[in-house]
Amino acid sequence: MNAIETENLKVWYGDKLVIKGVNLEIPEKTVFAIMGPSGCGKSTLLRAFNRLLELNEIARVEGDVKLYGKSVYEMDEVVVRRKIGMVFQIPNPFPHMSIYDNIALGVRYNKIAKNRKEIDKIVEWSLKKAALWEEVKDRLKDKASNLSGGQMQRLCIARALALRPEVLLMDEPTANLDPVSAKKIEELIFELKKELTIVIVTHSPAQAARVSDYVAFLYLGELVEVGKTEEIFEKPKNELTEKYLTGRMG
Amino acid sequence: MKIDKFKLALLPITTVVFGIFLLMLIVYVSQSIPIFKKEGLAIYTTNVWKASETGEEFYGVLAAIYGSVYTSVIAVLIALPLSIGFAVFVVDYAPKKLKEPLIVATDVMAGLPTILYGIWGAFVLVPLLKRFVMEPLYEHFSFIPLFSYPPITGYSYLSAGVLLAIMVTPFASAIIREAYRMVPRVYREGAYALGLTRFEATKVLLGYIKPAILSGFLLAFGRAIGETVAVSLVVGNTFNINPSLFAPGYTISSLIANQFGNAFIYNYMPSALFAAGLALFVIGLVINVAGLIMLRRWSHAKV
Repeated sequence: MNAIETENLKVWYGDKLVIKGVNLEIPEKTVFAIMGPSGCGKSTLLRAFNRLLELNEIARVEGDVKLYGKSVYEMDEVVVRRKIGMVFQIPNPFPHMSIYDNIALGVRYNKIAKNRKEIDKIVEWSLKKAALWEEVKDRLKDKASNLSGGQMQRLCIARALALRPEVLLMDEPTANLDPVSAKKIEELIFELKKELTIVIVTHSPAQAARVSDYVAFLYLGELVEVGKTEEIFEKPKNELTEKYLTGRMG
Repeated sequence: MKIDKFKLALLPITTVVFGIFLLMLIVYVSQSIPIFKKEGLAIYTTNVWKASETGEEFYGVLAAIYGSVYTSVIAVLIALPLSIGFAVFVVDYAPKKLKEPLIVATDVMAGLPTILYGIWGAFVLVPLLKRFVMEPLYEHFSFIPLFSYPPITGYSYLSAGVLLAIMVTPFASAIIREAYRMVPRVYREGAYALGLTRFEATKVLLGYIKPAILSGFLLAFGRAIGETVAVSLVVGNTFNINPSLFAPGYTISSLIANQFGNAFIYNYMPSALFAAGLALFVIGLVINVAGLIMLRRWSHAKV
């Protein structure tokens, strides 16, 4: 079963075509990496999946994105974003809110829990899932801005998980973290794919090789090559992919 | 050592600006001393205005202090939802082509000579408020103290408060708008990515700029309390301490503006007015400094 499929997906910024007709199939419960040099449209592609592009006034989408066979552009955008969680390149927990509230926020507004007790449970569950519980369980009322960068990023993962998404989008989640924190996130990705589908954008082929089952290589808005990670890394069919993987382009 | 002549030339200018400020404060304090010596703190704690060329004079400006604070509070309470709503509209909803014109228009509104607001207030706003707000409320709800004063002329705390609200909204909204516009994109995206609706996301983001909103209102309060001419045209200029919104009153600045012309006939009235001015000076200074500190602390603490 495919968690996400795109059909001839095109994205314009103004009159500039930045995603040039992408067809992708992302199997469920796998880690699917989208890699490519910066500016190739990886983040844009990701934001077309959860319709976050709509925040950008000049962005226009054509084609379709399907979540388990249903077009996200025919669903309510709030529901789409609940089912497709997202973690960003810059850890962005709301700094003026507590650790607890950062997670409870989405839970409350999406009416996932009925009462305080249920919210408490979800907060604990998702912090455990994000491997952050042990570090923060005694300071849930602390401001999120007091956490380290790596902890903040795991808090963002926790708050996305709290909504029980079917897919988790990760936009270069380790780009701004130290190596130790980055490693923790990668381990977490490994754990999480048992339960949900992860689409991770990365500009590092090494990271794609470490964490993903499938990989797609995007270059200047076009899908150059896609397939099982080991196959592509062992034997890229396309010359561009080979260049990229061997570090002659990036 | 090389001497920077330009810097040297700027130094006296800076000194003069601050010197004038300091001297002004000194003048206010020294000119207030006679009335303090005569009455003590009664100048601030009583509501009396007994001017006499021959007999005993006595001045207490409590009514004006009360009126200043009362009208400014009304103004800020009205301006609060207006300016937040306006800021959010301009940043999030206004079509691109309308954004800049709206911003320019509000900045112009904030900078208009206040007498323009005053005349409009006296001739248009006051009759409208009297007819459509005060009279119906008085008719049906006069048992509530807020609405208990018969709106005979319409010149009242409410008129002054509403007029001030109209005047400070562009200013407060500019501060909020700039802060709201500066909310980093990652937080905006983060809020929406959590499945929040536009309204919910806006609430969260407004929470993020709360310190800026608060300081915007302190600064707006500071402006409102210092406003003179527009207020004196609509507040009624009556020594009155009344809880009702529809009662006429005085504000410190309108008191000074109204009484200054003939104050020098009397022995102590100039000093009393200086003392009233000193009160305004202190209130304004405290409010503005608090607002600025808050704004600065927020913009430095931002991630």
